[in-house]
Amino acid sequence: MSLFDTFTVRVPRPGKDGKGSDGRGWFRRQLARVNWLWPAGLLLPAAVALVLAGIAHIVSILAMPALAEHNAFARLAALTDSNEMKLLPDPTPLSAVLPMQDPAFISAVCLYDLNDKPLKVRVPATADYTSVSFYTDQALPFYALSDQAAGKVIELDLMNADQKAALPEDEEITAADRLVIESPSEEGIVLVRAHVRDRSMRELVRRQLEAATCTPAN
Amino acid sequence: MRLLPLAFTLLVAIALGLGVTLFMVTHSRGLDVVQAGPWQGWPRSGTVKADPYSRAAVARSGELPLELADGLLFLATTDDKGRPIDGRCETRITGTLPQARLWTLAVMDEEGRFIPNDAERYGLTSSEALYRADGALDIRLSPRARPGNWLPTGARGRLQVALRLYDAPFSFASGAGDATTVLPHIVQEACP
Repeated sequence: MSLFDTFTVRVPRPGKDGKGSDGRGWFRRQLARVNWLWPAGLLLPAAVALVLAGIAHIVSILAMPALAEHNAFARLAALTDSNEMKLLPDPTPLSAVLPMQDPAFISAVCLYDLNDKPLKVRVPATADYTSVSFYTDQALPFYALSDQAAGKVIELDLMNADQKAALPEDEEITAADRLVIESPSEEGIVLVRAHVRDRSMRELVRRQLEAATCTPAN
Repeated sequence: MRLLPLAFTLLVAIALGLGVTLFMVTHSRGLDVVQAGPWQGWPRSGTVKADPYSRAAVARSGELPLELADGLLFLATTDDKGRPIDGRCETRITGTLPQARLWTLAVMDEEGRFIPNDAERYGLTSSEALYRADGALDIRLSPRARPGNWLPTGARGRLQVALRLYDAPFSFASGAGDATTVLPHIVQEACP
């Protein structure tokens, strides 16, 4: 007897010996079966199913960032090449490159690939709040900086762990004000956002943000 | 014939597990929810410490979550009494906001799209808003134009409101106790 046998218990068809014959006896036998086998026999398969469901749930949640096909990186990769700054179109009710964008901001993105060279990011601060945020290719945020912390021009060097380790020591001293950020992934997203205080300033801020660059460092 | 029940159990298990996953990534934005009245915030999903549920939800929706060092997002889908925000009602968002360099407020439908309108008014910012004499805010969401801080709702059935606080010098890591007192109230009137 396996534990799933209870599922396969055959219910004798009353029609076999002629309809209704010995109906009471058959019904009693079924009742006895139901009372005995059903709850105890179902308990184990149900418990097994519950444990397996839990495993399926945890595995699928953990695998989601790696498997999702329409994540932010994929959406942006359809618009722009890697290692170049691209202004995003303003989100409208009909179309938005990314969901949940703030309508009071102008955004630009740079998809980076650190496999060959580190990346230099240079963002001139606009008249209002300007920020630079870094995400891995699975949209995990790992660093952000706003103009208040950085001053008039936000300048950053983005590199992977190897490139950062290979930095000559003396260069770190001469470029003390140089900001080096280590990316946990080889590929990812730099998001530059500038606040638009007033709707009439949208064009102005957009032009200012056009000066933002991201280029592979030499 | 013992394979059949085994396959059936497996099928039920996988369907149940994936069903719960689908529900979680569409209905939740992470486990570290900070509740402040009708507002919900997920401070840790804007950091590298984001929990697996928030990572999964972000991967599915395709958004780039607001970085915590940048700002903090609060979403409201209900009013103070827990009723869904209805675009056919007169909804008032009143009260004061926590100190921040700037804030923005955006109105969206259930799926996170802006409400179409001729004026292209999808939200309000701290510099556009009008404040009362005591510094408090009174924002009105209504299908018809209203004086003051008005945002059109397009008479949509269900809305969500996104409040973003940028460069806010407070931390919600310690608990939500103080947030409840500082985020504005949402009250609905004149529902059809």
